[in-house]
Amino acid sequence: MTEIISSGTKRGIPGNIEMPLAVERLPNGHTLIADAGDEAGFGSEIVEVDPVGNIVWNYNEGLRFAHSGRRLKNGNTLITDTTNNRLIEVTPDKKIVMNSDEWGSGTGKLSDGSHLHYPNEAFELEDRTFLVTDRNNDRCIQVDRNGKVIWAFEKELQHPHNANALPNGNILIADSDGNRILEINRKKEVIWSYGDGSKETLWWPRSGIRLKNGNTLVTDSKNHRIIEVSPHGKLVWIFQTEHVDKFYITQATKEDSFLIACTGHHQVIEVDRAGNIVWLFRNYRRPAPIFARLANGFFKELGDDGNPLHWVLATRLSEGGGKVVWLNNHKPSSCPGLEFDRPGTLFLQQDIAVKPGSTYRIGGDIKTIDVKGTACLMVDFFDSYGASLYRDITLMPSGEFFTGTIDWTHDIFEVRVPPRATYAELRVSINNSGKVFVRNIMMNLI
Amino acid sequence: MALDKLISEKRKRQCAKLIEISKDIVRQAFDKFKLEELGITWTGGKDSGLTLWIIRQVCQEKGISLPKTMIIGEGDEFEEIEQFVERIKKEWNVPLEICRNEDILKAANYRLNALVKVKDLNERNREELERLGFEEDEFPFEAESYVGNHLMKTVVFNQFLERNRIKGIFQGLRWDEHPARFNDPYFEFKEGGDLMPEHTRIRPILHFTEKDLWDTYGGFNIPYCVLYERGYRSLGAKTTSQISMEGVPAWEQDLENTEERAGRRQDKEKAMERMRKLGYM
Repeated sequence: MTEIISSGTKRGIPGNIEMPLAVERLPNGHTLIADAGDEAGFGSEIVEVDPVGNIVWNYNEGLRFAHSGRRLKNGNTLITDTTNNRLIEVTPDKKIVMNSDEWGSGTGKLSDGSHLHYPNEAFELEDRTFLVTDRNNDRCIQVDRNGKVIWAFEKELQHPHNANALPNGNILIADSDGNRILEINRKKEVIWSYGDGSKETLWWPRSGIRLKNGNTLVTDSKNHRIIEVSPHGKLVWIFQTEHVDKFYITQATKEDSFLIACTGHHQVIEVDRAGNIVWLFRNYRRPAPIFARLANGFFKELGDDGNPLHWVLATRLSEGGGKVVWLNNHKPSSCPGLEFDRPGTLFLQQDIAVKPGSTYRIGGDIKTIDVKGTACLMVDFFDSYGASLYRDITLMPSGEFFTGTIDWTHDIFEVRVPPRATYAELRVSINNSGKVFVRNIMMNLI
Repeated sequence: MALDKLISEKRKRQCAKLIEISKDIVRQAFDKFKLEELGITWTGGKDSGLTLWIIRQVCQEKGISLPKTMIIGEGDEFEEIEQFVERIKKEWNVPLEICRNEDILKAANYRLNALVKVKDLNERNREELERLGFEEDEFPFEAESYVGNHLMKTVVFNQFLERNRIKGIFQGLRWDEHPARFNDPYFEFKEGGDLMPEHTRIRPILHFTEKDLWDTYGGFNIPYCVLYERGYRSLGAKTTSQISMEGVPAWEQDLENTEERAGRRQDKEKAMERMRKLGYM
């Protein structure tokens, strides 16, 4: 019998904030939040909340993993709709008045012939043009409302996530996979930088902002901390929570406090200089159920969507690709698999309640076809607020890593449940391209 | 070069320190439990071999016999390990019990990869399969599959505890052998559960790295199975264990920068690097 411990909620409920990625405090004291949505790709929206937490405006039409919403001077909102590879501008009554898909005579192409690829951030500049961080094209660009590229910086960037303009006209860029923050001038010269490339200094910084005092505040995501750095590169202030939380974007308020998008605990917090949380917005109900033990590990039951019952196809990080496929000729039962064709990663996953300190044996059979990246079984553990206990996916316990074409192989691994964990997320994972099939998945306390 | 020639006096003293820590754990176990409540798991491999040798030192010091020792017969053993176990059993007077899941072996007709039908198994094994969530009607007889591993090892282990009313069981696990072991404690109490009796797991050699272990074997002339001289680093079932470097003794391999349990596995570090470069979360 399948015992459900927590049934989860309907997906895509407006106002349910699953993964806040960007924040800003508006002049009227409200807070604009970009919610990327849940693991299955539902619920991405831009939400405006007042100081007591009422949702006063939202926009969610067609968004997929939207990373940013920025209020423009004309009162409209500029949305970076990441997985849809587009920018849109919407009015307060939710009409789209600009859509980058219409650039280049409807091809979505920019004047330089390129297309936005996984854009993460866009700000309006003084002259009403946009500064766009075009992550998978490894660049930041200035474009006008018709897609004309006015300026571009694409030297040596590796997956930048945020670029913003400083009052002096320079640009501050979070070069995330380069583990650096760069300040460049319009002549594309590096004026200032922080980070030596090592993870100890910065690990996947997602944003940097220049403070009034001249220091730079960096959201050092995988080190799960916010740091303030002086112009000479001295660390002058650190904010960190007890739990591992992946902070995405930080913005300074007029009151000199900081608004932080916390993806781990599904909330936005405002923190003062003493590290107190002075404001918080959390409106989260988990979408996926939690099972008492692994359910349908032999894939004999199908859900209404034709995918294995009780398993979630997690497309959040799949950059728009990926699906479940079946190896139908296989005896004695059908084996599901994942087919994937691009960078990013795709999971088939299920949440199972666990007790800290206990040990589980997890395993099953795996078969791969032409996997260019890595396919494996892995486990992530989460705390009671729904935050992963790991800073980075590579630190999560996993079975063997499979690459290429490998026939059915037994894979067994053991995991000890870390302190604070309340549930495990067991995943069949694939990145890059190829197919991975699984059968007879089991997970038992030992 | 012979193992014992490689170890300096200084290194030997360092290893002696590590042995002392282990002996202290063993002594604590003897304080906590009666001799007849203790058991030892042995495989014939290097980890449980060192553990057995250390327990034997403490027993000699106390003038008592070794606790009851189990070895699991999976039906897929190396002859070299069997010979080694036989020799040590005699030399050290080990009270050895060879434990097997006879019911499974019989159902498989003692043939590897033979299909075992669930309906042919006894009630205990069928209950165990149900507990695992196994839903098929048959499975191939292999010790390294999830089901095989459970029935051939875990169940046999639990039955050994049950049969002998064991309360504390020594295991030769080490922190550095696998990431899942990083947080293992020296003494771990296990509550009784479905078909598992309540017991405490005692792991005296957790702090030994693979290199410490071989240096200790060399420094103290501890006997080991000859397969390690031929390049095996980790021994499991015969058909699934692989030589990691042909003809290079385990202790001469690059123990610190390569995987102890490598084989068909690809280099995990390289795979990790690739995952990082893909730049997601």
